[in-house]
Amino acid sequence: MVWGPMIAWYLFLAGASAGAFLTAAFVEAKYPDSVKMRVAGRIIAPVFVGIGLLMLMLDAEAGLHNPLRFFWLISNPGSVMTLGVYFICIYMPVTLAVAVLELLKKRVPKWLTWIGIVFAFAVAAYTGFLLGVVKAYPLWNNAILPILFVVSALSAGLAATSLVGLVTDRERFERMWLIKKSHVILSAIEMVVLFTMLVIVSAGSFEGAASVHSLIAGQFAPAFWGGIVLLGLVVPFLIEGYPVFIARRVETSTTSLVVSLIGEAGVLVGGFLLRLLVILAALPVLFL
Amino acid sequence: MFEDVSRRTFLKGSAATAALAAAGSLSLGAWRAQAAETTARGVTKQAPSLCNGCSSKCGLVATTVDGTLWTLKGSDTHPYAKGHICGRGHGLAQMAYSDERLTQPLRRKDDGSFEPIDWDTAFREIGEKTQAIIAANGPEALGIIQDPRPSGKYYAKRFMHALGSANVYAHSSSCNLSKESAYTQTIGASNYSTDFPNAKMVMFIGRSYGDGIRPSSVKSLAEAAEAGTRIVMVDPRLNSSGIFATDWVPINPGTDLAFLLALCNVLIEEDLYDHEFVEQNTVGFEEFAAEIKDYTPEWAHTITDVPAERIQELARAMAKAAPAASIEAGWRAVIGCSYKNSFDTARAATAVNTLLGSWGAKGGALLTSSPKAGKLIDARFDDPPKPEKPRVGNKEYPLALDSAGTNLAALQAALDGRMKGLFFYNSNAAKGYAQPKTWTEALDKCDLVVTIDVQMSETALQSDYVLPEVTYLERLELPEWIGGKKHFVGMRTVAIDKVHPETKTCDEIFNGLAKACGVGEYFQFTAEDLATAQLETVGVDIEDMKQQGVVELPDPAFTYGTPKFKTPSGKFEFKSDAVGAAGLNPVIGWVERKVTPKPGEFAIVGGKQSIHSHTMTQNIEALNAISREYHMERVWLSAKDAQSLGVETGDVVEISSSEHTGQVEARVTQRLKPGVVFLPTHYGGDSPYQTRAYRYGVALTDFIPFDVEPGVGSMMSQEVAVTVKKVEA
Amino acid sequence: MARYGMLINTRKCVGCDACRIACQMKNHLEPTESFITYHELETGEFPNVYAEVVPTQCMHCEDAPCAAVCPTHATYVTDSGVVLVDEEKCIGCKYCMAACPYQARIVKESTGVVEKCRFCWDNGAPGNPPACVGTCISGARVFGDLDDPKSEISQAIAKYHALPLADNLTATKIFYVR
Repeated sequence: MVWGPMIAWYLFLAGASAGAFLTAAFVEAKYPDSVKMRVAGRIIAPVFVGIGLLMLMLDAEAGLHNPLRFFWLISNPGSVMTLGVYFICIYMPVTLAVAVLELLKKRVPKWLTWIGIVFAFAVAAYTGFLLGVVKAYPLWNNAILPILFVVSALSAGLAATSLVGLVTDRERFERMWLIKKSHVILSAIEMVVLFTMLVIVSAGSFEGAASVHSLIAGQFAPAFWGGIVLLGLVVPFLIEGYPVFIARRVETSTTSLVVSLIGEAGVLVGGFLLRLLVILAALPVLFL
Repeated sequence: MFEDVSRRTFLKGSAATAALAAAGSLSLGAWRAQAAETTARGVTKQAPSLCNGCSSKCGLVATTVDGTLWTLKGSDTHPYAKGHICGRGHGLAQMAYSDERLTQPLRRKDDGSFEPIDWDTAFREIGEKTQAIIAANGPEALGIIQDPRPSGKYYAKRFMHALGSANVYAHSSSCNLSKESAYTQTIGASNYSTDFPNAKMVMFIGRSYGDGIRPSSVKSLAEAAEAGTRIVMVDPRLNSSGIFATDWVPINPGTDLAFLLALCNVLIEEDLYDHEFVEQNTVGFEEFAAEIKDYTPEWAHTITDVPAERIQELARAMAKAAPAASIEAGWRAVIGCSYKNSFDTARAATAVNTLLGSWGAKGGALLTSSPKAGKLIDARFDDPPKPEKPRVGNKEYPLALDSAGTNLAALQAALDGRMKGLFFYNSNAAKGYAQPKTWTEALDKCDLVVTIDVQMSETALQSDYVLPEVTYLERLELPEWIGGKKHFVGMRTVAIDKVHPETKTCDEIFNGLAKACGVGEYFQFTAEDLATAQLETVGVDIEDMKQQGVVELPDPAFTYGTPKFKTPSGKFEFKSDAVGAAGLNPVIGWVERKVTPKPGEFAIVGGKQSIHSHTMTQNIEALNAISREYHMERVWLSAKDAQSLGVETGDVVEISSSEHTGQVEARVTQRLKPGVVFLPTHYGGDSPYQTRAYRYGVALTDFIPFDVEPGVGSMMSQEVAVTVKKVEA
Repeated sequence: MARYGMLINTRKCVGCDACRIACQMKNHLEPTESFITYHELETGEFPNVYAEVVPTQCMHCEDAPCAAVCPTHATYVTDSGVVLVDEEKCIGCKYCMAACPYQARIVKESTGVVEKCRFCWDNGAPGNPPACVGTCISGARVFGDLDDPKSEISQAIAKYHALPLADNLTATKIFYVR
């Protein structure tokens, strides 16, 4: 396999960063009082993307030994990776500026937030397109992968921010119905998108079918079903969905706190595993 | 008399690896790094040599940068290379920079491990022990075994003869001894060649040009195939030359003789043979025709599993294409050393060519001449006196080619205590020839075992003294004389800087040994002195030779037409008195293989792979890496057998014979006759000093019982049946 | 301007690995690093079997996906159609490895640079001939100018009706006789 866990971390962290920034913007708009959640989202955004970039650089060994070569990264606008660099070049300073303003307790100008929102979506989508344009791998080369990665990025960013909210500002968090609803709906959408993608990839080519088979019934099946589907999608869906849509009440018990923490952590684990398995399970098109 | 540590115990006693690499030496990694760095700015030079990767010894040119090897190119002049070098040639050259080379003389200690000693000590102690053996048992208790190389074959013989022993042996008993001995009886030459450019039909008996490679032969075959020559491959396995075959004839292993006799039967019974040729140029035809009367295609079918109609069709097609049709000369395998009937299989192959009248014919089988050095005037080069006693084994195996002898006779003599001291040069006899256990037992009984090599082979591992030679690119050797339609002389020169200071060249080592053994008077010259003198006799200046590496000699003026057979009768011999005198059927006829697999058992066949040369190359990093990347150590199983055994490619199977049980991964293939397993013969190393080869795969020799082909002295390298079962994970 | 290409005749290739090792030596690769991969194929059933070895390496695509995705322009296509890697620009992101439909690229252990066959390019010209062609024992490899109808390769392509692999997916310049 060409890439491994390092790139999975990068794709995951860049996506989660974007999700966290968007979450913060959403919280700012809908729950102006939830300061802690907003701050959390705005700090997570630059930190995650920063760590992600570090992973990317660690994986790019030739550049690591000669860091000046990274400047060449802007030279091929035809490459999705270069586009990603452009996006990150804007996104990262914006998230940093937003975080700094937030920490200095200064007001973040609306226009800055809007730029951040636009580029957060761009970054999240880019992580999907990075793989999506690679024709040699049917598991990557489909229109749904970028959508899946965007949905998963939102979900992961939301989860990361929510984790902080749960721990630091639970009372308020438990009343943020829109956040909770979005979370549940995102899980549901992600599940639908994921399986749609697998069906399409599987039907599209022999190698695609083999890749999908390795995920659902082959060597990656335990991580796929246990990590991505159960821990990352079904469990959070149930944990969040039950109080929001069935019980319709604000939880205060410690048990529910623990359960919620498990749900949010599950989303993060599932989000990472999704990138990892998509990278590892992809089989190239046979050319002979 | 001498302390003798049990070799058997040592072999069992696993990886006692002393640090053998000398400090400051250039490792493979360092070589690559250095070469990469200096390519741009270093001094680039070219120097010729002859490859040491196999017996072909192709001419090549090494390009060096500041004295270290960069690339190799085949010599454009050398008839075997014609500008190209095979994979094992490129790989073997890298041996010079191996991290697991022998770098200084070693002496075995009581616990089986080795200690470095200086050359003077090594020579002195070996000299004393050699002289003690001569004093106690006579010089006939000494022998040397070598895989012939330009200097090695000369010095080995001269050294032994100087000591008074005639016991000089080549590796041939595990290679092509049956073939060379048989051809000597029938056609009076140990080999012949196929006139590919003009051939209409060529039949291969078990040989694969694409596995045991000589580049120009592969090219000739490729071109013949392209030109529409019918190429028939008789082999239980569709080997790597199968790409050139028009016909693959899968045959029961060791039954090729029945197939060949049936071809003769059809040619004679259907009156398709060349009457004129047979009447004028052969003896014993009447007896032969009577002998094979019953060897019909139907009879052969029951033995070979080749349908009778197919045998008939092939015989008729050969007759139709004659005389531009012939059986290719073969090399090792079924025709060379593998079965009790290998000698007669080879004789029968030449009989087919005779019936087709293809000897000397355009497109047929050619006998060509070889050049040699003229008489030397300088008295320093005079031969030592001829040893009094004949070579051990000459009596029991009178048919063995004289220039090779059978080293199995030396092995037998060591087993029964007659042979006390054995020298090995460029030879891993104890692993690569006959049953290793038997060798270990024999070496255990010897008072002195000395091995000269570049790496710690299994034979070196069981020696009392191990003397490190420089690799071939680091040394000048004696000229190599190359025959054929044209004549050439080639020579190794010092192509790269010496890598390890404490290694010596072949001539330096033998000169040192001779002096220490008290026969230094016969070794008052260097290889370069002798080479200069030898080349002078053919009008070649050694300085030109050092530049060119290969020089064409005056044209021997080859012409087509019936050749002169150098047999006692001067004709092709269907019947040989010498063969009768050796206790075999004087007339070419049927001999059954010794072991026929019973139901449930498999025949096992071995074979070379293109990148390896027996056990010599397995530890070379670049070649071992290919083996591992492509799982080349796997045993081949036919798809049909694999299915009934429940085995898939990559599964581990256990192979058992009367001698040995071993486990290796399987490769399931359609390219093999059911009932047969194929094991490449390069794997299963036992020397812990060769970490890459050590215990990687299994070795065919381990499975083969020790036995000797009657009259000839070959090892019968495939006379065993094995069982195969799946090893459950 | 020449347009360089290669012909590989699998009907002459015995899979001897000479090209791999000659290439390694010429290009200072480690024993485990190779620009050439061998695909051993078997068709049919005993005893009607056809076995072939198909060596693959960088196909020097006109439409090179590796160059298209390379974010630093380290991989580029010369005027003569040879796909090269500028070692001084490569960061080792491996995007080209993922994009190559033929898995023809490797990470060079010593530098982290992603390398591949360059037709032994040196000093502004390809090898004369490249190491793999020079050593090929059976004449299975031919190298030369595809634009010159008189070149050995152009004539060989015409004679054998040689074709690129994979239905010319990426306008490759290695032609195969199968």
